[in-house]
Amino acid sequence: MTHYRIAASVEDALKILEEHGGEARIMAGGTDVMVDMHKGKIAPRCLVDITRIPELRAISVVGEAVQVGAAVSLAEIHRHPFIAQNVHVLAEAARSVGALPIQTAATWAGNIVQAMPAADGAIAALALQAEARIVDATGARWKPVEMLFVRPGVSAVDPCRQIITHIRFRVPSRLWGSAWARAGRRESLVLPTLNCGVSLRLHEDGTIAEAVIALGPVAPTPYRARDAEAFLRGKTPDAAAFAEAGCIITGDCNPRTSPARASREYRLALIPEMVTQALEAATRRAENRRSQS
Amino acid sequence: MDATISFTLNGRAVTVRTDPVRTLLEVLRNDLGLTGTKQGCDLEGECGACTVLLDGVPVRSCLTPVGKVEGREVLTVEGLGDPDRLHPLQKAFAETGAVQCGYCTPGMLMSSAALLARNPSPSRQAIIEALEGNLCRCTGYARIIAAVELAAARMRGESSPDGGAAQARPIGGDLLRVDIAERVTGRTQYVEDMPMPDALHMRVVRSPHLHARVVAIDTQKALEVPGVLRVLTAADIPGENSIEGYSKDETVLVPVGGTVKMVGDAVALVIATTPEAAQAGVAAVEVAYEPLPALLDPEEALAPNAVPIHADGNVLSTFAVTHGDANAALAASDAVVDVTYRTSYLEHATIEREAALGYIDEEGRITVVSGTHEPHWHRDFVAPVLGLEPSQVRVIMPPTGGSFGKRQDPWLVAATALAVYHMRRSVRIAYTRRESFDASPKRHPYVCRYTVGATRDGTLTGLRLRVTANTGAYDSGGYYIPNYAIVAGGGAYRWQGVDAFAQSVYTNGPKAGQMRGYGTPQSNFALECTLDEMIQRLGDDPVEFRLRNAIAQHETTWLGYPVAESLGYRQVLEAIRPRYQALETAARAFNESERNSPWRKGVGLAGMWYRFGKYGIPRVAAEAELGLDGRFVVYCSAPDYGQGTATVMVQLAAETLGVSRAAIRLVNADTATTLDSSVPGASRATYWVGGAVCRAVTALREVVAAVASEMLDCPPSAIVLADDRVMAGGDARRSVRLSEVAAEMERLGHSRKVTGVLDLRAQFPNYEREVYTPHFVTGAQVAEVLVNTTTGQARVTRVVAAHDVGHAINPRDAQGQIEGAIVMGLGAALMEEFVPGVTTGFSDYYIPTAKTMPDIEVILVEVPSYQGPFGAKGLGEAPILPTAPAIINAISRAVGARIREIPATPERILAAARRGGLR
Ligand code: FES
Ligand code: FES
Repeated sequence: MTHYRIAASVEDALKILEEHGGEARIMAGGTDVMVDMHKGKIAPRCLVDITRIPELRAISVVGEAVQVGAAVSLAEIHRHPFIAQNVHVLAEAARSVGALPIQTAATWAGNIVQAMPAADGAIAALALQAEARIVDATGARWKPVEMLFVRPGVSAVDPCRQIITHIRFRVPSRLWGSAWARAGRRESLVLPTLNCGVSLRLHEDGTIAEAVIALGPVAPTPYRARDAEAFLRGKTPDAAAFAEAGCIITGDCNPRTSPARASREYRLALIPEMVTQALEAATRRAENRRSQS
Repeated sequence: MDATISFTLNGRAVTVRTDPVRTLLEVLRNDLGLTGTKQGCDLEGECGACTVLLDGVPVRSCLTPVGKVEGREVLTVEGLGDPDRLHPLQKAFAETGAVQCGYCTPGMLMSSAALLARNPSPSRQAIIEALEGNLCRCTGYARIIAAVELAAARMRGESSPDGGAAQARPIGGDLLRVDIAERVTGRTQYVEDMPMPDALHMRVVRSPHLHARVVAIDTQKALEVPGVLRVLTAADIPGENSIEGYSKDETVLVPVGGTVKMVGDAVALVIATTPEAAQAGVAAVEVAYEPLPALLDPEEALAPNAVPIHADGNVLSTFAVTHGDANAALAASDAVVDVTYRTSYLEHATIEREAALGYIDEEGRITVVSGTHEPHWHRDFVAPVLGLEPSQVRVIMPPTGGSFGKRQDPWLVAATALAVYHMRRSVRIAYTRRESFDASPKRHPYVCRYTVGATRDGTLTGLRLRVTANTGAYDSGGYYIPNYAIVAGGGAYRWQGVDAFAQSVYTNGPKAGQMRGYGTPQSNFALECTLDEMIQRLGDDPVEFRLRNAIAQHETTWLGYPVAESLGYRQVLEAIRPRYQALETAARAFNESERNSPWRKGVGLAGMWYRFGKYGIPRVAAEAELGLDGRFVVYCSAPDYGQGTATVMVQLAAETLGVSRAAIRLVNADTATTLDSSVPGASRATYWVGGAVCRAVTALREVVAAVASEMLDCPPSAIVLADDRVMAGGDARRSVRLSEVAAEMERLGHSRKVTGVLDLRAQFPNYEREVYTPHFVTGAQVAEVLVNTTTGQARVTRVVAAHDVGHAINPRDAQGQIEGAIVMGLGAALMEEFVPGVTTGFSDYYIPTAKTMPDIEVILVEVPSYQGPFGAKGLGEAPILPTAPAIINAISRAVGARIREIPATPERILAAARRGGLR
């Protein structure tokens, strides 16, 4: 039988992990852990429920960063007024995971630790250049989420020894916008054929100061389009530049054929369309924020 | 070491001692006896049937470890309201027709309740978003969304029409379903919900191979698994190892030396004291296989040197129709379209999985409770397996969570009966969702080659048709598929010459069997798309073209005989014409104004005729009785798996007697108490069984009137029936209670039970030649689709459906059936596809969600039937036929190139858009 412990604090959770010597596992919503246990993929001796740790339950602004606690559900994220109005890439990615009764339990950190190449939360985290606060017996440190993916299904964070307590990203600046694009075989309750998160910061003159583009599943781990990002820097955000960015990504990434979802060729055909669509929306939002402020 | 978990459940404090990692769903259902919460998938979050509220928030109880709810509040459907005090949502679901089979209903209600608590005035969009994670296979979602809107309005205190439904006249009014209060409160017990404390559990050892010889079966290790009591193999079958009455070549269990012919073929049954032990036993049964070459493509299976899957070769059945001279007609045509269309394997995907409960009844009969379309047929198929007489076997239809044809397969009943036969105890089984996908029959994939000719002025000339239907590993009730393929494939059109041939071919794919429309949607899809190609070629109009070529009522059809019933095809096309024209004009304007956007709007039209004629002898019987308590009892076999047949039977009886529905009790679909109707399909129940019910109650009324007239001393013609009494004329003072009449009948030795028969044998003396009587319904639909020509994504925005239903007995349920069929047809057109070896369940078989739903307008074209009860016709299946071709015609027109294979996935649409030169 597996034990079930409701941790009162991060220290408490760490202690339980330690007691079990790597055979206890952190769990928040349980939407992935339970499925993996039923399928026999994992067999922890103890589940450590962190959803009642007060400090992990909040979305707050700390200094220059928006900080999301690891026990905040995806539904709480996309219903959060500030995120819904300002951080579209995150709000919409959170709304893309399964369906509402899954989003009410599932968490951003849990989605990231799952380390699937098209995890909606992971793609959004990349687009936001988010960092995760990882705590273990040796202490706490912030690491870019981008560094946490080893291979499909394997995270650099070991949920049997470590806890992600928070995820943070920069507070949106004035000339900043983000967007989310997703295609699937139907409009809800489906894994993505392709998902794409972008964020964009403009110079005062309207050219691109910084673009961040993330996609899945086009590589073994969530993919960041660094070449295309570099290309866009300093460019005018127009259709030609976006199309070129799409071409660069198409040439660089390596999607696979999945028989129940889509072929490699179709995914490649989709990439420029979705990248353009997302970049256009992000640009619009960045410009809107300028006019609003 | 169990944990102690305390929480609040439906307002009451409860404490359970259990493994804290078990799912909340299992604990609710098994430990706490709250079976209103349903399981539709393999505890993987894919269906939403298990949705409950945790501190007011909707969650998947199948993904919630029960340890998580410690100290929190759980609300299930049972706590939302009860039959005497329905929650406004439950009331609204009942009144709007949001419940068909009811299996998704508890989850839908809980998701809706959470929404309304957060947002008392939700927009339609907000409702859709709240419900997008709850799958429903029956309703098409529209009525569910309408129900939430109605409940929200009432909860805000806005007056809205309150369900006067219950007082409406029995026929034609929108009546509540007979058992609706139970369905919306989670009280209805489906098979898995029925308590049977000592029941054993059965699991099936299934083939992992497409094609292999069974060399040996070793059950020893399995028998050593604690809790495993018995492993049954073919050697344990006392009678015939065959269900040939239904599926001519299918064994119950593949014997040693025999071959498994598909993945999921059953080899052994493991019976144990717990489901877990049975599962462990399955894993421990050692089957040695010798793999054989597998054939998945029917073309390959037809090759001269192909491995024979069955001893007689790889063709199951064929059918041909020749009429006039097709070659000459084609040769004389101004235009000929010669094209090939393809369809995919489809899965019924009912939200309830297959389940059965078997036991020995009080009279010693082997009894199986399980979804069925005709319990008598299942009884007759199963008795020979046990070496018993049919009278020693009983089959009972329970409340069932949808069928669409799936529950016609008798295998599950046979296997359960076999287990009860050996164990002499009650046995239960429920498939996993994965098993349901692997082992249940599918819709036949077709390859249809159409050669169609027409003259310059748009008159059809010749039709050459070749259909190859992939029947997979077994007949599985698919023997008559070629017949259906051709009858639907020629349509309600006047052809000068027809040369049609269809064959059903074995492969090692999943067995294909019955599914809504049985073999007709595929060829109708191909026909209506081919006609659209011709119409575009000629620059003709889709409505006028069809009208010009439609069969007239009394003419001899290309089948060689006239139709038996009123044929409303012209009326249907006339009814839909203005809608088609308006949508077509709007689409043109859209495409003009959005010339630079990637979006294109397309409008497509398709028609159909659908045969609901009866197989075999055109005679159906039912019984009616006056109970000693003075209530009328109707006995018939018209199984209701969600489409509302039971309600229709009660309505028909009530209307015929002139009493209210409350005065009628229905005994339905139990081989021990009802007569065999031999009517195994929904679309036929109203016309055929309903006809027999009307005759039975008419006969009963005469007997009652005769006895009562003696008692009241008035002529029988002056007798007036009320719910509980009989009056002389309209005079309430001169009356006797019906219970008194029943007592008087007892005293006189009059039988209180009479039989009514709908007998059309005189009209169809050579039914043997025709196999099916020529009863047809017709319909036409228009679809409006938005297509993104750069991504291939398509969204069906609107469907208008005009269907000739005869006189609608229950118009709201008729509309609900049509909406459900349209959304199912939409799934087939755009997303559904079972790929052998790839598809596993709801995570990769995409059925429409609330978000996929188009706006649907239903036009009921009521062309009364000549002989159906109160002018009714058959309905349940037909409306699925025009949907896929209407959608595909719309997309093809939008992108400027033809799509000839469904599902039209974004990939296929994008490819067509590129062929069409749009990119
Ligand atoms: S049983 Fe929970 S989602 Fe299917
Ligand atoms: S009523 Fe929704 S699944 Fe049957």
